[in-house]
Amino acid sequence: MERTSKVMPVSQAIQRFMPDTCDTLAVGGMHMHNNPMALIREVIRQQKKVKRLVTSPSACINADLMIGSGLVEEILTAYVGFEHLGLAPNFRKAVEKKTIKLLEADEPFLVYGLQAGAGGLPFIPYPKGLELTDIPKVNPDLYRFTTDPYTGEEVMTAAPIKPSVALIHCQEADPYGNAIFKGSEFTDRQMIFASDVVILQVETIVPNLAEKYGSTKVNVPGFLISAVVEAPFGCHPTSSHGYYTFDEAHLKSYLKSCKNPEAYGEYFQQYVTGISEKEYSGKIGLDKLNAMRQKGDVSFYD
Amino acid sequence: MIENAYSIAELMACVMARNLEDGEVAVMGAVSMIPMAACRMSQLTHAPNLSYISGGSGAVNPFLDPLVFSSCDEENLRSEAALALPDVILLEGHGKRFDVFFGGGLQIDQYGNCNLICIGDWKNPSLRGPGTVGLPFLPRSGRVIIYTTSHNARTLIEKVDFNSGPGFLDGPESWASKNLPGNGPALVVTPLCALDFDEETKIMRLKSLHPGVTVDQVVESTGFKLVIPNSVPTTPEPTQIELEALRRVDPSGIVRNLL
Repeated sequence: MERTSKVMPVSQAIQRFMPDTCDTLAVGGMHMHNNPMALIREVIRQQKKVKRLVTSPSACINADLMIGSGLVEEILTAYVGFEHLGLAPNFRKAVEKKTIKLLEADEPFLVYGLQAGAGGLPFIPYPKGLELTDIPKVNPDLYRFTTDPYTGEEVMTAAPIKPSVALIHCQEADPYGNAIFKGSEFTDRQMIFASDVVILQVETIVPNLAEKYGSTKVNVPGFLISAVVEAPFGCHPTSSHGYYTFDEAHLKSYLKSCKNPEAYGEYFQQYVTGISEKEYSGKIGLDKLNAMRQKGDVSFYD
Repeated sequence: MIENAYSIAELMACVMARNLEDGEVAVMGAVSMIPMAACRMSQLTHAPNLSYISGGSGAVNPFLDPLVFSSCDEENLRSEAALALPDVILLEGHGKRFDVFFGGGLQIDQYGNCNLICIGDWKNPSLRGPGTVGLPFLPRSGRVIIYTTSHNARTLIEKVDFNSGPGFLDGPESWASKNLPGNGPALVVTPLCALDFDEETKIMRLKSLHPGVTVDQVVESTGFKLVIPNSVPTTPEPTQIELEALRRVDPSGIVRNLL
């Protein structure tokens, strides 16, 4: 019997593995790096609804674009922003106008929660002192207190996070979903480990991945992956560590478009809903993308 | 020869660098161009054994060859070592690993509490901020260096609308009662001055005025009653050695052109 390849087109991967209403969707990437944008744009095209969106400790356009599409009911996050480029316009507007429910969290909550979700742990206790922020007061459902059985003291805990689906970008994978991060992993590996279903987008499919890098470098096991989508430049306008840098001009034009609904509608039409993912790189321009690759090709990873 | 004229952001980097000691370990998060430059220039001058971590990227001792804008940029992985993010969270939780944590906020209050969450009531904010990320670890870090690029009465206020990065909490009693591993806020660096904290009251105190700035100017730009000593020195200007190190780290002038 032949082993089954998990490689499929992006439209098929989202159609097949993402329910029409997703209970908890995790999106990988941190700040303007490694955002799985090809998968996210396709989720928006297929109008899949998301009950709860979970992000890494620092989300960017991955969360902001999804919120702007109106498909997200609530978000569990510790930051949505564009770092030196400013605040996240759709996140900000949705929270201020209360069109989204915000589950306020801090960075350790997301790390502990994913760790708990990944390992079947009931919760993870916090080190002392982190209960002193106002966050547990505004998110009492997920920040609960118990007694430390060793000291008898009260201790804050992080609830487990168990996403139904995770959308993750790795730089390279083999056809069975074994994959590598060429640069930073952020919390993406934890998301993979904690989620029921993982849809992976990669720059390149490398049939002999373990041979190329050595198996100890391949720390995403294929049995956790449901689908592999080959999506060159699929993180654009964010970076893909070891492949290309982020497109600052495009991010700025996105932020500008958010200032009025008409311009935002135009952005959506031009880059998301009006085209297929296959047409996306042509829309940006291959010359431009290749220039970003030149800048971002940090060969010392190899 | 290097240009001796310096910008305010460069002076801020020098003030931070002078606070860092050889052999210490420092950590910082997003939009940390000034602290990163300060750490690297310290390594190149008085603190060759300083270590620093660029939070989100997990990079240990990035070479900053050169400094870039984004904390998680792959360029920061040109470094001595690189940790996975959950490892950084372990180190931040330990309580004894980091001597210095760089923090800041949309609001910073008289006790050094920071707020990156919202202006106004959380349920009904007049401004929704980005979120707090790793600031809740402040009480578990050796000392906290707070900085802001906007010293005004909206940023430096009596009490934060939302505490997302604990400083001395509600003052000396509440701080002492918690018995935390960290020593709390130690230094605040702004475009106008450097500040520290009064040992008794734990209220922010004027430490030095940047060249050309007056006490009145600082008082007017601060939304609470600062502790003002009888005599306040002027922040020493960057030395030739400091400027050389800073511009080696930041040849394109990211810090220089910030303010």
